[in-house]
Amino acid sequence: MANLKEIRIRIASVQSTQKITSAMKMVSAAKLRRAQNAILTLRPYSNKLTEILGNIASSDTQDNPLAEVRPINNVLVVLIASNKGLCGGFNSNIIKHTEHLLSHDLAQPHKNNNVQFLCIGKRVSDYVRNKQYPCIGCYDHLLDNPSFEDIANIADGFMNDYTTKKYDKIIIVYNEFKNAATQVLTDSQYLPIPTTMGKIQTSKVDYIFEPDKDTLYQSLIPKIMKVRLYKCLLDSIASEHGARMTAMHKATENANELIKSLNLTYNKLRQSSITNEIIEIVSGANALNA
Amino acid sequence: MKVEILTPSASVFEGEANLVQLPGADGLFEILNNHAPLITFLGKGKMKIENKDNTTFFNLDGGVVEVLNNKVLVLAEKCSSI
Repeated sequence: MANLKEIRIRIASVQSTQKITSAMKMVSAAKLRRAQNAILTLRPYSNKLTEILGNIASSDTQDNPLAEVRPINNVLVVLIASNKGLCGGFNSNIIKHTEHLLSHDLAQPHKNNNVQFLCIGKRVSDYVRNKQYPCIGCYDHLLDNPSFEDIANIADGFMNDYTTKKYDKIIIVYNEFKNAATQVLTDSQYLPIPTTMGKIQTSKVDYIFEPDKDTLYQSLIPKIMKVRLYKCLLDSIASEHGARMTAMHKATENANELIKSLNLTYNKLRQSSITNEIIEIVSGANALNA
Repeated sequence: MKVEILTPSASVFEGEANLVQLPGADGLFEILNNHAPLITFLGKGKMKIENKDNTTFFNLDGGVVEVLNNKVLVLAEKCSSI
């Protein structure tokens, strides 16, 4: 059994770790609030845009080059994760899911080395580099400073690559934000445009369309695509902070338990050593008296 | 009528107005009270909002506008007040 001094040192070290984890939890909580706000302000914009698209979309406006489904040869997978660790299964879930995709849905193009990657987040770019998968770019800085303009440029590139048939499918793998404690791992098909999108017929208002429905539809689609990508990024950022907050909360709790049990052993040891000392003194005195 | 300007990162403006002037794809146009429902996209340029007390200007960089039930909703990619 460990001696008193060892346990004392152990307790001190667990305590200082606990201080760090609880501080990290606070920091994540503050960052989460900011990330959540960003999503909440984006939501009305994207909802309205989708609603307007639904008002415009009709059967005669469906021949969009971005909605065209082609046989899958070349695939681009966009991975969104985090720059830092210590956030539970946040990053490893993404990586696990990517492996799953590569061995199931994308097995054929992967065998022909036709699956390319685009990474947002150091953790996933390291993973792709280690595995030596073809990577067309890393945008790690976007996580610290998610600007709509940068995302819009990337989305423009995607749409261009899709229409020039460089890729036949673009998939985004990211963590969708449900609430602070729950993240849902999602792989969403970015292009071709999923058929469910923009088909919700809403109001029957007789709008004046200027210049005409078709032109409006064609010009709205790129906007929607940019917002979709931006939303994925913001979702992932909020999820990251949520995941880190939960992980750090658990770590703090575990440290508490550990300290409790260490304290118990420490006190037991201390008591038994005191008892030992008393016995020694008493027996020593008895020996003198005898 | 009510006017609202939304961008992906913030709600830039929300308030009452008597007149809204917008940069349409082919040139400037104005919306007055009780305008018929309208959807159109916007070009780059200045947007003007006039109400009883004052006039405000915004820089727009492309977007969409929807007019419905006396409410003007501007969805802009970038917008800043001047």
